Amino acid sequence: MSPEPSGLVQGTLHMLILKTLTLEPLHGYGIGVRLEQISRGGFLVNAGSLFPGLRRLERDGLIRGEWRVTENNRRAKYYHLTPQGRARLTRETRQWEAQMAAIGRILAATKDAL
Amino acid sequence: MITIWRRLRHVLSWSRHDADLREEIEAHRALRQDAFERDGLAPGDAADASRRALGNVAHAVDAARDVWAIRTADSVSQDVRVALRGLRKSPGFALVAVGTLALGIGATTALFSIFNSLILRPLPVRDPGSLALLTNGSWSYPIWEQIRARESDLSDGAFAWAGQRFDLARTGQSDPVDGAYVSGRLFDVLGVTAIRGRMITPADDSAASPSGPVAVISHRLWRQRFSGDADIIGRQLTVQRVQFTVVGVMPPGFFGPDVGRRMDVMLPFAAEPLIRGRETRLNDKGSSWLQIMMRLKPNQEIEQTNAALRVAQPQIVEGATRQSVLTEPLTLAPAATGNSALRTRFETPLFAMVIAVGLVLLVACANIASLLLARALARRRDLSVRVALGSSRWRIARMLFIESLLVAAAGAALGLMFASWSSALLVRQLSTSQNTVSLDLALDWRVLAFTAALACLSAITAGVAPALGLTSIASGDVLKDAGRGIAGDRRFAVRSALVVAQIGVSLVLVVAAGLFLRTFASLNQLPLGFVPEPLLVVELNLQASGGRPEERGARVERLRDAAASVPGVRSASVSSTRQLTGGGWSSGMVAVGDGPMVRLRSVGRPSLWLNATMPDWFKTMGIPLRSGRDFEAGDRVGTGPVAIVNESFVRQYLPGEQPLGQHVRLGFDAQTRYEIVGVVGDAVYTTPREGMLATMYVPVAQRPPKTFWPTVLLTINAAPGQRAAVERDVAAALTRADPAVAFTFGTFDQIVAATVTQERLIAMLSAFFGALALLLAALGLYGVVAHAVRARQTEIGLRMALGATSSSIVRLVFQRVGLLIAGGLALGLAGSLWAARFVETLLFQLTPRDPLTFAGAAAVLVAVGILAAWMPARRASRLDPARVLREG
Repeated sequence: MSPEPSGLVQGTLHMLILKTLTLEPLHGYGIGVRLEQISRGGFLVNAGSLFPGLRRLERDGLIRGEWRVTENNRRAKYYHLTPQGRARLTRETRQWEAQMAAIGRILAATKDAL
Repeated sequence: MITIWRRLRHVLSWSRHDADLREEIEAHRALRQDAFERDGLAPGDAADASRRALGNVAHAVDAARDVWAIRTADSVSQDVRVALRGLRKSPGFALVAVGTLALGIGATTALFSIFNSLILRPLPVRDPGSLALLTNGSWSYPIWEQIRARESDLSDGAFAWAGQRFDLARTGQSDPVDGAYVSGRLFDVLGVTAIRGRMITPADDSAASPSGPVAVISHRLWRQRFSGDADIIGRQLTVQRVQFTVVGVMPPGFFGPDVGRRMDVMLPFAAEPLIRGRETRLNDKGSSWLQIMMRLKPNQEIEQTNAALRVAQPQIVEGATRQSVLTEPLTLAPAATGNSALRTRFETPLFAMVIAVGLVLLVACANIASLLLARALARRRDLSVRVALGSSRWRIARMLFIESLLVAAAGAALGLMFASWSSALLVRQLSTSQNTVSLDLALDWRVLAFTAALACLSAITAGVAPALGLTSIASGDVLKDAGRGIAGDRRFAVRSALVVAQIGVSLVLVVAAGLFLRTFASLNQLPLGFVPEPLLVVELNLQASGGRPEERGARVERLRDAAASVPGVRSASVSSTRQLTGGGWSSGMVAVGDGPMVRLRSVGRPSLWLNATMPDWFKTMGIPLRSGRDFEAGDRVGTGPVAIVNESFVRQYLPGEQPLGQHVRLGFDAQTRYEIVGVVGDAVYTTPREGMLATMYVPVAQRPPKTFWPTVLLTINAAPGQRAAVERDVAAALTRADPAVAFTFGTFDQIVAATVTQERLIAMLSAFFGALALLLAALGLYGVVAHAVRARQTEIGLRMALGATSSSIVRLVFQRVGLLIAGGLALGLAGSLWAARFVETLLFQLTPRDPLTFAGAAAVLVAVGILAAWMPARRASRLDPARVLREG
């Protein structure tokens, strides 16, 4: 099996789930597959962390789920972003980019600057 | 906030969400299986692989559920189970703790429920908030007629009533119940409807009542006297020897507009002339005997109605009073809680007792706190293991707190039962033969809320100390040091502080008990001036039996002779006025000889008390004749008016003079000159508390028949040990002599006891509370000393092995106990000195800081404290050092 997404920074899973839902509503499995595809196998999200994550996002009113039928005629719960979820994603993305830029600057610092 | 609401909603639909989650996870697995199949796996292998890929489903479900669930709800119920199990395992502790709290909470609730029904609870009628009482005092019927004529201008309805004692017997010995005359609209304005028949209407309250004389009776009277008969309506009821038709039964909770009195029979005012005949007070402008209430108009303030009342006042006064006596403005006061004569009398004592019992509860809580703390310390091993296994300190504190909450809840539940029993008992103690006190003590939300608050407060008071005492628990500290504590151990500090507080509060209560008991004792030891033991008092009601007022004198003499001829009666005589009621017949102004009329006492208090007696009354009462003569058969209307005075009279009005032959004139009857023919010893007239007051006696036979009181008192001096037999025979003799007379028996013992009802009750209660607090404090002290000795037994054993004698061990223990007691005494004395001023009005012949009482109370506490510490100290001194050291 591929390595656990233990390298995932705490709290980023939520942001990633929200991001996968910006384009279209997805079910839990679809979210996992989409994350795997986009990250080119970098992240494997297992059910043990995916479902508590989904629940927490639902609890906080950032996503909402509803039961639908998939193209293969299975019932699955599709999640879509709520306006709050979209706002939260924007905010977190901005924060994340700011942090990454800061970290990048530190890591890229030359010997003299240190 | 929204989140909490969402979570709560989630918890409420728990199972649906769980099922939802399981289905979702199953869908997830199925989708993966599809993917595996698309990748070319066999369906069976794909299912297995998908299951493997899913990992631990149960864990996932749990984790996902935790996101939503309120974890505490789950673990609190677990704590409750643990606490219950713990209490079941130590039934002795549970019993003592719950019992102590039940007593404390029960006694407090009992007093509060009396306070509540007397002072706080609104009348059980429609919209009590808009009722207003015409203050101050009582009113004449003509004034009521004037107000009734303006009823609709002033208010949304007005009514009047006059509390009365009615005799329901057909003949002979009276059968008194409390009742009232009421105006026609009383029930209508109060919004009280009958549960059987109808209530009194304005038509009933007129001379030409179409239904004849009617009465309505209380639910209680209907149940008790008519055993709840369905055909009660239309039955005849004898009231004061007159027949009335029962037209209705009042609803169960309704007792009338007076709080503290129960009105079992209500008659319209129009029935009063039927009973009193020519002496009816309905036209009497001089006698005030009514209470008047109004219902304010909607949206009208009481001030507006008052203003309207004052505008109408001149006409009211002109139409209804003899002279312009009504000078003070008529004023309404809010009366949502009704009218009560008891309220002013009992407010202060009741409040003092609520405080006292609250202090007892505090001592009880301290004891329970101490017990809980000891329990928690004994369970340190268990608790340390819990900490080691990852239980948070907060969680352990919560567990202990839940334990005290459970104890408090059980105590409160038991206490409620105890309260409803004991408050009824207390209220019964307030009733005397003359005055029945009745309060509706049914539990209402106020009492329940009060008890619940007490329980919570107790739980907090008792539960905080153990939690604080546990701060020393550490996970590694799994105790190996049982019995190896030494002096100064911090663990005892909390319990010691509790014991000091207990002793202090107990001292306050014991001081209070001492003050009240001494007050009661000195009131009881006051000289009465007569000998009450052999006396029987028969109240004769000649008015209820009809007949012409002119004949009453002769009838009374016939009745007196009938009683005097009964075997066992040593003497019998009659007086007009009942003594020891706090009031009586009096004159505000007095003139001696030809001197001016003087007012000796301040305005409002009479200068001279009066009584009319028949010959031999002083002999019957046991009042000594000092000089001169008693009244004789020859002192009649037509002969010169004579009087007998007491020694206080001589001291006040004729100091150093020969009283016999002097003349006295009274303010209300300045023409008559009474010649003093005798001087008698002092006897209490109003109350023992007021002591001996100047009193003048006149012969009954010289009083004009018109002013003959409706009731007179026949006093009988019975031979020793024959009072009961004499009572029976006299009753028969009286009925034979005058079948129409109504009479009630009493003894002077009861009458004397009735003057100190309030003081007796306060003394009884405070003694009970003081003893209870003392017992609890002693238990607390015993517990802490015993525990300290047990915890230090290794140290003590060592000391003994090194040569300490058993007396030096006792001294060691007592050094510590002495410190605790001294601390408690200092605290208690300071508290008592501060609190003493609040009870000043309740004391008699004592200063509130009476040094003797304070010293006595302190001595009692020290004695009890030494007793409580003695047993553990003895035990310590008898330890076998070898065994202790070997086993410890």
